[in-house]
Amino acid sequence: MGSMLEVDNIDVFYGEFQALFHLSLEVKAGETVIVVGPNGAGKTTLLRSISGLQPPSKGSIKFLEQPIHRLPAHRIVELGLAHVPEGGRVFPNLSVMENLKIGSYVKEARREFQKTLEEIYELFPRLAERKSQLADTLSGGERQMLAIARSLMSKPKLIMLDEPSSGLAPMIVTMLFEFVARIRSQGYAILMVEQNVRKALALSDRAYLVESGKIALEGSREEFSQESYIRKAYLGL
Amino acid sequence: MEILFLNALANGILLGGVLALLAFGLNLIFGVVKVIHLAYGQCVMLGMYVIYTLKAIYGVPLILASTVAVLVMGVWGTLLHLLVIRPLLGAERLNQLLALAGLIIVFENLAHVIWGADLRGLRVDLPVVSLGNIFLKTSNLLAFAGALVVLGILYVVLHRTYVGLAIRAVAQDRECASLMGINPGRIYLLTLTIGGALTGLIAAFFSPIYSVHPHFGGSFTLMAFIIVVLGGMGNLAGGFIGAFIIGVVTSLAAVITSTEVAEIVALAIFILVVLVRPQGLLGARRAR
Repeated sequence: MGSMLEVDNIDVFYGEFQALFHLSLEVKAGETVIVVGPNGAGKTTLLRSISGLQPPSKGSIKFLEQPIHRLPAHRIVELGLAHVPEGGRVFPNLSVMENLKIGSYVKEARREFQKTLEEIYELFPRLAERKSQLADTLSGGERQMLAIARSLMSKPKLIMLDEPSSGLAPMIVTMLFEFVARIRSQGYAILMVEQNVRKALALSDRAYLVESGKIALEGSREEFSQESYIRKAYLGL
Repeated sequence: MEILFLNALANGILLGGVLALLAFGLNLIFGVVKVIHLAYGQCVMLGMYVIYTLKAIYGVPLILASTVAVLVMGVWGTLLHLLVIRPLLGAERLNQLLALAGLIIVFENLAHVIWGADLRGLRVDLPVVSLGNIFLKTSNLLAFAGALVVLGILYVVLHRTYVGLAIRAVAQDRECASLMGINPGRIYLLTLTIGGALTGLIAAFFSPIYSVHPHFGGSFTLMAFIIVVLGGMGNLAGGFIGAFIIGVVTSLAAVITSTEVAEIVALAIFILVVLVRPQGLLGARRAR
């Protein structure tokens, strides 16, 4: 299958500070790709530069053959690339339903809002139960689910998840990964940054290791999990 | 004495309705764009001059003159955003405040130059309505009803439409809103335009009640600001309640003492709120 997302040699700066160095990465259609690495390695920055929040100063990013590295964030979503930022960032003073509705803000998604909403409620029955509650009143796990569901409302082709399991209780983490697996089985391409390497690797096709703003290692799930460095440093084997 | 109080109470409530609309505009702009529009009352003043000019000088019917004022002040809001607020979005808070405070002087002196310092009023003779011992001016009643209708429409727009949801989303988390496909720059522009059109509308409600002069806006900017702080900055429901509190309190204080003392009371409430409950009555919950 063809390449869906191509990140080619990007440099990203925060003012004077360089966060990413000639980084390249690829996601093919239907693939689940994970990005792991220590804190501060630049994983979040990588997702932010792809979605247009922190554009690269050098290099190019293509989504479905189209260059997107000069587009503002709100235009990139329209192309079918959704970004669930760290911590989910649901809109606290909007209800669950309103959060989902705003997820379908892009034109093509708006027309199918009702239909998508029903699908989402079927996938996340918990959200249907709480549809009129303010997002602020949800638990951490529910918020993360709402954030993922909200991104699905935009009818994306690729979903980027930034540490969806961060700060959640182990039982909730297991549930969350089941949801990600379910989304994956529906054919969405996923690019996920995760700290929980073992669980993330289990549902991935390929993986990248980012260290100090550079790709330190990449490979298929099998190659990656057999790498002795990964086994020692990230899987504790 | 009792009758006096009842009348003051009733008129305070009527004033509260229009103040609620004024505070809504200021609150919306603060909530979404995060700037304090210090010259908001001055925009109402300009709107009143637009109506005065059209009606008193060119003989345009009041309804039509008011409609024009709403449009003109909407465009005024758009221009204000493009020329003053947008270039300062990345600037220090203090610089934004100073620039907007500077606009007070610009607007007031502009009015001085064009219309002079005299009081300009419309001769609108509307009957007085009496409910038992309470006497209400029709113009005040109309302003009150009009303000509530407009607030109702704005509420529905903010809660039921995509554009309204987008405005609320940008107010809560601008960056995350852009990940939903919302263009925050356009929402800012729209907010300032709506805010501007509201000053035109308030001018239309005020025109039959008050005469306008170049410094007319000052006390209303102050009132709106007090209300917004009282209700919790950015909290629209808080502002609504705050408007009625300030409307009634100042109206009662004016009856008991004098109009000047009423303003002192309003400011004393403001200081008390800032000292005791800086987040306001309903304390705006912080969007992260």
